[in-house]
Amino acid sequence: MKIIKKKIFIFLFVVLSTNIYAAASDEVKTESQDYQTSGTDDEIYDPLEPINRAIFGFNNFADKIVLEPVAKGYKNIPTPIQSGISNFIGNLKMPLVIVNQLLQGQGKNAVESSGRFIVNSTVGLLGLVDVADKMGLEEKEEDFGQTLATWGLGDGFYIVLPLFGPSNLRDTTGMVLTYVSDPINAYAIREGEEWLLPLRTATNAVDQRSRIIDEVNALRNNSVDYYAAVRSSYYQNRKAAIDNTDDNILTPLPLISIEFE
Amino acid sequence: MKNSFLFLLILYFVTKPALLLANEAEIWLEKEIDIILNAYQNENLPNENRFLMVEQTINNNFAGAGIAKFVVGKAWNSANKETKKDYIKHFKRHLALNIASMMQGYSHQKYSLINSRFDEKSKVTMIDMEIYSEASSIVVTWRLKESKNRFFVIDLLVADISLVVTKRSEFNSMLKTVDYNLSNFNEKLKSQNEKSYEKIIK
Repeated sequence: MKIIKKKIFIFLFVVLSTNIYAAASDEVKTESQDYQTSGTDDEIYDPLEPINRAIFGFNNFADKIVLEPVAKGYKNIPTPIQSGISNFIGNLKMPLVIVNQLLQGQGKNAVESSGRFIVNSTVGLLGLVDVADKMGLEEKEEDFGQTLATWGLGDGFYIVLPLFGPSNLRDTTGMVLTYVSDPINAYAIREGEEWLLPLRTATNAVDQRSRIIDEVNALRNNSVDYYAAVRSSYYQNRKAAIDNTDDNILTPLPLISIEFE
Repeated sequence: MKNSFLFLLILYFVTKPALLLANEAEIWLEKEIDIILNAYQNENLPNENRFLMVEQTINNNFAGAGIAKFVVGKAWNSANKETKKDYIKHFKRHLALNIASMMQGYSHQKYSLINSRFDEKSKVTMIDMEIYSEASSIVVTWRLKESKNRFFVIDLLVADISLVVTKRSEFNSMLKTVDYNLSNFNEKLKSQNEKSYEKIIK
């Protein structure tokens, strides 16, 4: 009888203990590894932060009063026209995309991009229609910033450029290289049509901005520090572009414990 | 021949649980996304009620407390129990407001789950969702973890940008200004939530 009682006591103790543990599992437990990130850099090198924040404030203001309203208007124009503009601008970038793919040793991508450029510039009516995409020649973007990164050049410090927005020392260098080596720009300058350059840049900015109206507003309206949120987003986006991550496998995975949910 | 058969058999049993898990996660995710979309499809629903529906779905399905702890980094350790509890409450609302805000431009776009995979090493299921608009499409990746026989969303990636990593960076920048004091940070988070809420229900 005594043995049975003892067994019942042990049984009840185990069952009740499980419930105690279950209640305890609702509390947040702390382990040192919970604060660590898997390859995520919490600190972005930003020695010019006060200046950058001032420029960021100006850009944000310019975005609110000019770029966002224009982008919203652009979204209201018929979709085929929007797609045509977007395809045309994208096609103009292709010669430099091919150069950068070659510089990064991406021979197969360079061949595909050349195919895209030829098909879209001819059958696709000077790039207005993306015929190549339907043929399976997918658009892959590469720029000088990505090429310099592939060659081992680090980010350098973070910079917010007036009107152009977030960048870093390496990507700004890449941007300058793009500007001076772009054959379309060179052609426009040679023909005395320099006005085409800012028009191209502005159209590209409006087209890009029109695609992220809700995302930018969500970030702007809900961030405790909008500047830091944009800076982090910029770095993550560029890292993915440099690594050419299509499936997000390489995107840092936060170490999140859910045992207390 | 016998060896190849054995190899295929082992391969089948090794990969089957991962495939099953990814498939199961996909079905679960689709159901939960549709709950949120239904809230936006019902145009008669007042904004306040719509947000509450979204908040409830997010609270039920996101690893809110885990994400909260992660994004606040080292400030967690020095805070007391009450402050932590307060912070988790504010963070969960903050998360819901962020997602509801992203959903504000929803205008009956179609979506499809295009790819799912299970990462054996991290035990994380990743599901890509493509959202189609007239001119373009965008890919959102959901990261899910299984716990107690159900799934939790641990992160959301939009155009390769992780919501959780961005929040951590943003919070870290703000925490620096309050000397990593979670209690002071709570005040700022609460105030931001109030502003965001006003915009959402407007």
